[in-house]
Amino acid sequence: MGTSIQDITSLMAGFDRLGYVIEEELATVVYLSLKLGKPILVEGNPGIGKTELANMLARLLDTQLIRLQCYEGLDVNSAVYEWNYQKQLLGIKIQEHSALNEAEKEKNIFSEDYLLKRPLLQSISAKDKSPVLLIDEIDRTDEEFEAFLLELLSEFQITIPELGTIKAQHIPYVILTSNRTRELSDALKRRCLYHWVDYPSLEKELAIVYKRFPEIEQKLATQLVHFIQELRKKKLQKTPGVSETLDWALSLMTLGYQTLDEQAVARTYGCILKSTDDIRMLQEEGVEALLMA
Amino acid sequence: MNQATFTRTIIGFAQFARSRGLNVGVEETFSALRAMELGLFEEKATFYYALKALFCCNKDQLSLFDKLFGIYWETKNDDPKRQQSRHKITGPQHLPKQPGVLSVWGFGDGDNKQEEDSKTVTGGNATVRLRKTDFSKVSEMDASILEDIAEKLWREMSKRLKRRMKRRHTRETIDLRRTIRASLPHGGDAIELRYRGKKPRKMRLIILLDVSGSMDKYSFFLLRFVWALQSYFEQVESFVFSTHLRCITEALKTNGLEKTLSMLSTQADNWSSGTKIGECLRDFNERFAPQILTRSSLVIVLSDGLDTGEKGILESEIQKIRRKTRRLIWLNPLKGMRDYEPSARGMSEALPYIDHFHAAHNLESMLELEDLLCSI
Repeated sequence: MGTSIQDITSLMAGFDRLGYVIEEELATVVYLSLKLGKPILVEGNPGIGKTELANMLARLLDTQLIRLQCYEGLDVNSAVYEWNYQKQLLGIKIQEHSALNEAEKEKNIFSEDYLLKRPLLQSISAKDKSPVLLIDEIDRTDEEFEAFLLELLSEFQITIPELGTIKAQHIPYVILTSNRTRELSDALKRRCLYHWVDYPSLEKELAIVYKRFPEIEQKLATQLVHFIQELRKKKLQKTPGVSETLDWALSLMTLGYQTLDEQAVARTYGCILKSTDDIRMLQEEGVEALLMA
Repeated sequence: MNQATFTRTIIGFAQFARSRGLNVGVEETFSALRAMELGLFEEKATFYYALKALFCCNKDQLSLFDKLFGIYWETKNDDPKRQQSRHKITGPQHLPKQPGVLSVWGFGDGDNKQEEDSKTVTGGNATVRLRKTDFSKVSEMDASILEDIAEKLWREMSKRLKRRMKRRHTRETIDLRRTIRASLPHGGDAIELRYRGKKPRKMRLIILLDVSGSMDKYSFFLLRFVWALQSYFEQVESFVFSTHLRCITEALKTNGLEKTLSMLSTQADNWSSGTKIGECLRDFNERFAPQILTRSSLVIVLSDGLDTGEKGILESEIQKIRRKTRRLIWLNPLKGMRDYEPSARGMSEALPYIDHFHAAHNLESMLELEDLLCSI
């Protein structure tokens, strides 16, 4: 672990230097995770910085970030390892006329040279220091994969029938994220430190915008954050997250706006609303009510 | 407070939390004690956050934790942050206690006319007759027999569905890993091909049952039908609606089918005041859809489409559901009637967005669903 992290305060300061606004609660969870070696399970709505947390943690610890994006039908071949079949076929041809017997030939083509390491195997075979392993949107995989993951997260070892067991020399720091499209198994949840991320408060969101775009006009920043905060109170198909706020801020700055007005909003709907129903609703209702006086 | 007392207090809190429904075991307690050794518990806020992350494992437990924490660690100099979160506390929402009545739901008011109706169906034996009898016309006597037949047939159907899924996908892709292994004796030429079957992927089923006055008898059977099919689907989420929507997945899971049915039957009286399909679907879209609707889910709505709610809502809501699912099936018991036209306003609003519009008035028609489910 990075030598700079002695306590929660220094952890928060570290994140702050990297431009990531972190609350004491999440900092406590991260600190605890580093010290106890437990994975963090971060749940919350899309676009509020769950993935970014892992990014920042890797930068803070000055280590590699290994990311596994989960999806329906994710299997061992794309998550853990796969043999490099083309290379194996070539290998067989090359050793065709060698004096090796069959067992030796087999041993050759099932050696580490022919192995394609996928994220999970990569994460436990790090040589010099513990990487950060981000398992993104774990709720999208099926239960079988979750069970496999559970085993990996408790043993930090993977068995490849042809090669033997590989055990982690440096246990990775694991962050799991979930959008709650389904409940995760109790066993997996209990192994983790749980943290629920909500939409940020006005002050926090403003701080995030300033952190990311220090050059932004103060008036514009306040107005747009206020607008988004009000917008979230409405019943939308897709509620905009922090990433939408940041996209929007950047768009408005690029277009040269210094304050937010109806025209500015109308030209940039697409940054914050991602559903035609929502856009239509906003167009019908008008945006005056959301704009700050 | 010295270390030993503090350890004891933390263990005490863990036990307290466990007794009040938080899933706190030895491992969690142990982690809490280790966190204490790290000096994490010197500041109250950190102490609170750490325990929260350790003891909670989903969002719904957060408020319960706040409450328990408040009760157990009540002190005078309160941290403002915690005080704030304690204000938000709402008690855990429990389902109303159901009396242990085991009544057959919806079959209490059988009269002579119904008896006659079921007799008019001619057939060799009771099984054949009952398979064709409209659910609403089954007499109280026959109901239990029908249930038995239904359960048997549906279980067989569920088994068949599973088997078919497995067989269909064989020989689809070549398993390179095993092929290469097999090719070693031949000098690397892949003479024997090895195949890899696709793992049968289970669908997620979301079922919305209309339980308003005229529908309850059908819903009752469909619920049994769903129960029988459960092993075929990865996950089944069930909802009942009339004037309001209610999720019964948890109730089914914890209480089982019979208890849930009897619980629903005791509340059935409140439901006879019209059906607001549109409003209920909107409620579904707002509260549940983001979490449970995915492209791999199958949605079945069982309703007669007699909507007494506001015009137009049903159309836009059903459209939203359609967009987010793999298939939308609407079962309408009235469709089993001869000369039925889907002219009721609700039904005609929904019709353009439905993939399959099917009858579900007797056992036969439900068994026909098998082919439909297979083809999806």
